[in-house]
Amino acid sequence: MRKIFTTIVAGLLFAVPFTAMAQVNILACEPEWAALAEEIGGPKISAFSATHARQDPHHIRARPSLIAKARRADLIICSGAGLEVGWLPILLQKSGPQVQPNALGHVTASHYVPLLDTGAGVDRSMGDVHPEGNPHIHLNPHHILPIAAQITDRLAQLDSANADYYQNRYQDFAQRWQQALAQWEAKAAPLKGTQVVVHHKSFSYLIDWLQLRAIASLEPKPGIPPTSSHLESLLQQLKATPAKLILRTPYEPEAASLWLSSKTNIPALVLPYTIGGVAEAGDLFALYDATLALLLENANVE
Amino acid sequence: MLNFKTAASAALIAVLSASPTLAADDDLTALRTEVEKMRQAYEQRINQLEAKLNQLEGNQAQVGATANTPPATSRRRIADNRFNPSIGMILNGQFSQYSQGESEIAGFAVSHEGERGEEGFGIGHSEISLSANVDDKFFASSTVAIVEHEGTTETELEEAYIQTLPGAGLPIGMSVKAGRAFWTLGYLNEHHSHADDFADRPLPYRVFMNHAYNDDGLQVSYLLPTDIYAEIGGGVYRGDDFPYGGNNGSGTGAWSAYARIGGDVGDNQSWRAGAYVLSGEAETSRLSNEDSVGFTGDSDLQIIDLRYIWAPTGNARDREVIVQAEYFQREEDGVYTVFDELSGDVLATSTVNGKSDDGWYLQSVYKFAPQWRVGARYSQLMSDATPAPLVGTGLDAQGHDPEVLSLMVDWTNSEFSRLRLQFNREDLSGGETDDQAVLQYVMSIGAHGAHKY
Repeated sequence: MRKIFTTIVAGLLFAVPFTAMAQVNILACEPEWAALAEEIGGPKISAFSATHARQDPHHIRARPSLIAKARRADLIICSGAGLEVGWLPILLQKSGPQVQPNALGHVTASHYVPLLDTGAGVDRSMGDVHPEGNPHIHLNPHHILPIAAQITDRLAQLDSANADYYQNRYQDFAQRWQQALAQWEAKAAPLKGTQVVVHHKSFSYLIDWLQLRAIASLEPKPGIPPTSSHLESLLQQLKATPAKLILRTPYEPEAASLWLSSKTNIPALVLPYTIGGVAEAGDLFALYDATLALLLENANVE
Repeated sequence: MLNFKTAASAALIAVLSASPTLAADDDLTALRTEVEKMRQAYEQRINQLEAKLNQLEGNQAQVGATANTPPATSRRRIADNRFNPSIGMILNGQFSQYSQGESEIAGFAVSHEGERGEEGFGIGHSEISLSANVDDKFFASSTVAIVEHEGTTETELEEAYIQTLPGAGLPIGMSVKAGRAFWTLGYLNEHHSHADDFADRPLPYRVFMNHAYNDDGLQVSYLLPTDIYAEIGGGVYRGDDFPYGGNNGSGTGAWSAYARIGGDVGDNQSWRAGAYVLSGEAETSRLSNEDSVGFTGDSDLQIIDLRYIWAPTGNARDREVIVQAEYFQREEDGVYTVFDELSGDVLATSTVNGKSDDGWYLQSVYKFAPQWRVGARYSQLMSDATPAPLVGTGLDAQGHDPEVLSLMVDWTNSEFSRLRLQFNREDLSGGETDDQAVLQYVMSIGAHGAHKY
């Protein structure tokens, strides 16, 4: 056994590969930031997302593969505001000083946009709340450009030989994004004031942007799974003030949504939430296209 | 803001009109004009302030967008407490019922943390931990456990260590930890027991490590820059904690080395495997079995572990399967002495050479709903042949391999609270089966660190 062990250790020591730094290695905590990095960096970067659309970004295991990815990353992009507090610190423990929070190689997206639900004082009896504010910031498209500018700035500094390249791609992206934004807002105008039920506060920024009204949440308190007594009270509430839609993300369990939908005949709708949340949501533009199409199709508004 | 304005004006008017002098009409008009002027000036000032506030709010996003550091307003902090360490406390209590009055693991020297817990109500293990970055190069953490042992409350310094931060100037991926800590050794050792999936530790941990190895020492770890996760490390220790003891203070009494690899299989499965060696010497005497067994000599431990996690729906919050196994092999060269518990007289002495004992466990936990998990664990020890002088003493295995089967169900209300019901069927010395039921709570208040894999 001692011999086998020595062989393994020696083998690992000499297995270190020496790869050329051809691309900027990016580890994104969530798929939306990997997609945004790709918009700016194109083929000059290689972005990997630590999570996929079917995973709840609050509850990710600090998997060995992610520790290895963080160790080799040149740039880490995360939402922040407490979203990754349960796993990111473990990844950063073994990674370099250049990707630690507040270093050049670390973008905390929530630092660059105004946050919703910032609580002055919170207590854990209120559920899984983030005192820093709601971290699901990417669902307001106005937030994308300041964060894109930040990523561009970091890429230009990390890979200065290609600084102009990143700047040009940012200009191009910003222009297309502004155009798309105007179209989305025109298209979504009829949705204003639509009453919705949500599973968790995952869509707060989308709701804020489109001026929808979230009248209830399936979770009795943030992060606490729906209970039958809470759902029963929602049923009574919805009889008095009906909503048009029951919204959830692809990672939130369907049972509570479907039950409430069957009792109230309000459609239960899965919005993509992030890249890959539905088949069509392949990039950030498609994410918003698909989200608005689903809302308009099911909300039954003129 | 508007309410405040109205209230302020109303208050002003109220104060002025409540004046006891019955003023003439002229005076009253003059007074009213005066109040009206004040009100206008006041409103103007407030409007200016509001405009300024709006402007500042607008600027804030832009300021944030250009600076690398977060705006100061994004975090709630009290200046005086700014540098206070993170404080956390774990409260752990249980109610246990056993079918047997006595519990002995035949054939093995067992120290007190490896023994069966106390019956009835008990606060098994409460921990208070403090941790913070010391400066740009070091992190420090300490955990004090308050435990009940045979009617007395004892405090144990479980951990007190410093660790280098990524900015300390060491090569990327390298970290040095020094002090007292739950060292990287097997899967469970580096975890605090409140994070375990069962109420007690499996047999190999109870017997070979007296619950956990947290000697004083220093450990270095290095994460290799490979695509696949690969980490190596090793350390040197004082040699005072079980399985060692009685270090006379010269040099180091024990050393360890390990290697770990891990990765993903597809999107929803991950794994990690490791091999570990702990080697050292109990220099004067390692006492166990209520001080009735002593050992002096070399004790080497070799461990392999495997952990595999599968999230069937992709979302680990929703459903998850965890499989975990460890295999231990221990080799001892030295002298075992058995004493009479009351008089302290030597009852038997035996010199062992290459005494080889094994132990292993396999456990699986299934989360079938976001707050509910069930789990099963089997653990077993395999003792070497009992040396002739020890036949008939507590170290006589009598050809029996101790085994325990455990089943548990737990309910996790939030990340910070868990209730657990566990049943154990222990067959530790042959013939007598001890059926155990444990109802346990584990709660955490204050700071709660990120979870290791």
